[in-house]
Amino acid sequence: MAENFNQHSDVSAADLARLSQEAKSEATPSTARIIWDEFKADKPAMVALVIIVGFILFVMIASLFINTPQMMQTDIMNYFDKPGTDGLLLGADSGGRSVAQQLIVGSRNSIGIALGLTAISSTFGICWGLIPGYYSGYIDWGMQRVYDFMMMLPMTMMIIVLVTIIPHYNAITLTLIFSIFYWEGTSRLIRSRTLAESQKDYVAASKTSGTSNLKIIFREIMPNISSLIIVDTTLSFAENIGVETGLSYLGFGLPPQTPSLGTMIANANDPNNITQYWWTWLPAALEIIILCLSISYIGQVIRRAADASQRQGAAD
Amino acid sequence: MSLITIQNLKVHYPIRSGFWNRVTDEVPAVDGISFAIEAGETYGLVGESGSGKTTTGKSVVGLEKVTSGSILYQGQDITQKANRRRLNYNRDVQMIFQDSLSSLNPRKRIEDIIAEPLRNFEHLSKEDEKLRVLQLLDIVGLDADALYKYPHQFSGGQRQRIGVARAVATNPKLIVADEPVSALDLSVQAQVLNFMKKIQREFGISYLFISHDLGVVRHMCQNIAIMNRGRLVEIGTRDDIYNHPLHIYTKRLLAAIPETNVAQRAAHRASRLAVERIYQEQRAKYYDDDGKAYPLVAVSPTHSVALPAALAHQLAQEEVQREAQA
Ligand SMILES: Nc1ncnc2c1ncn2[C@@H]1O[C@H](COP(=O)(O)OP(=O)(O)OP(=O)(O)O)[C@@H](O)[C@H]1O
Ligand SMILES: [Mg+2]
Repeated sequence: MAENFNQHSDVSAADLARLSQEAKSEATPSTARIIWDEFKADKPAMVALVIIVGFILFVMIASLFINTPQMMQTDIMNYFDKPGTDGLLLGADSGGRSVAQQLIVGSRNSIGIALGLTAISSTFGICWGLIPGYYSGYIDWGMQRVYDFMMMLPMTMMIIVLVTIIPHYNAITLTLIFSIFYWEGTSRLIRSRTLAESQKDYVAASKTSGTSNLKIIFREIMPNISSLIIVDTTLSFAENIGVETGLSYLGFGLPPQTPSLGTMIANANDPNNITQYWWTWLPAALEIIILCLSISYIGQVIRRAADASQRQGAAD
Repeated sequence: MSLITIQNLKVHYPIRSGFWNRVTDEVPAVDGISFAIEAGETYGLVGESGSGKTTTGKSVVGLEKVTSGSILYQGQDITQKANRRRLNYNRDVQMIFQDSLSSLNPRKRIEDIIAEPLRNFEHLSKEDEKLRVLQLLDIVGLDADALYKYPHQFSGGQRQRIGVARAVATNPKLIVADEPVSALDLSVQAQVLNFMKKIQREFGISYLFISHDLGVVRHMCQNIAIMNRGRLVEIGTRDDIYNHPLHIYTKRLLAAIPETNVAQRAAHRASRLAVERIYQEQRAKYYDDDGKAYPLVAVSPTHSVALPAALAHQLAQEEVQREAQA
């Protein structure tokens, strides 16, 4: 059959290198390049990106040099030290423990849990949306009933109960427990877009090209809803920082000897702390606000990059 | 033996409604049609919007779940998925889609789009594959620099060419071309039709050419079937359909072809109005009590029309006499 094509086209093997070279020079820029251009065109988003990346790196590395059990020991001499005294940059709390060090370790714990939770719940939610949306029929029906059942459960209460009955839990078990309950929103969102996307002719064309269903779902349809996935994932990440912090604040998150942003904000439960000893809770609260704002800025830029008509970055 | 034989094909879409989401009714998009496509020919399927042409075409490539009837290819009924897989059916039967933009994945480069059937059916080496893609682009008249671009960077006519290149990639025996040019302007239409013909000559491909425009079909097809609300109302050769139409629906479609000759415009308009008047007055004669088309009856070896047998033969007789007088 190859002869058939050779016969009817002037293009031959000899031209191959030259032609693909020519085509390369005309090629549209890669996705990474487009996203980078988009960041360069949007200064606030660039600042947000630097803040997030710099902060996460700093927290991850700095926490390696902190001995947590030692840090969490009560030191009565430093009781509510003001910021800057006794060599404590952000002062100390009621136990005389360094707020700055707790902030670093606490951020590492909170961000780590949020990252893990986002990775697990979004992956699961995306699959649980793509598959029923593509297949419809019985598979869709079955998977939707599981979804309905999970939606019916009172989430916060279930988490509190699970945390109470599991004897020894740590950051990893906590992440897994959260993950059971945080995939539903993503799944419903992805399913509705997949339903619409599956009707398009390029899916039909892939079928007649002999591509398997799984490949169509993950290699053809998924890239087309990537902007939705990216925005949803960044927003869930911001939200998930809140999930852990919220529960730790209530006392049902990480164990008390493990610092987290939530346990630090819980210092604000004491009216004295709110007015007099503001340095015990304010840094953690500010950090959360800055993190969440930055993340949503970054999410916006990536969405614009994914959607050609909204781009602000330099055209090619 | 025919390349492909369609026998009493029916595709009914369920309509779900009510509290239990039960099937309460059906849309008979295709309602019992039969025809056969020979190797190397272009078979025209013509009808107004919503008459079920796309549904028929999609059934032929195996994209639609058919309600009943069969489609025979190499003696096997390819409405069964297992048969399609065993025959590697889609290597031999491909489709060009009506909407060229939606049929190309916006996230894939042209190279990957055209190479998709090759990767699944032919397993060429990287070099051979790229060479084949470049040859295909050349055959449909696109430059090599299209290779790494995305579909939205092309015009409608260029996109349709990409669709053709993908359909031709595995050197199929039949291509279902679903209104390949209806979204294009006249000069581009002619270009695309011409290279489709050229490809057909060079590769010996058959087309099932779907269109709502008898003007376009005239230049492409040897045999034509006229479709009306899910049924065929007339089948014949090009001569049968254009010069001796029997069914009123065919006559209306013919009258709807725009007349480009200014001198004959008035006469054309008069004949169109005459056909319209007959249609309004005699509709009951041409359709059964439910407003559906009758089964086909043959009036000559090539020509069949969906009318009661007596009426069909009477009309055919009149047609012969009219011809003799002229
Ligand atoms: N998925 C579907 N579900 C329900 N009804 C459908 C579906 N697809 C098509 N139909 C109906 O079937 C009928 C035939 O549709 P089809 O797309 O085959 O028409 P067509 O002849 O290709 O029209 P056009 O010239 O506009 O493309 C229409 O009445 C349409 O509403
Ligand atoms: Mg159609």
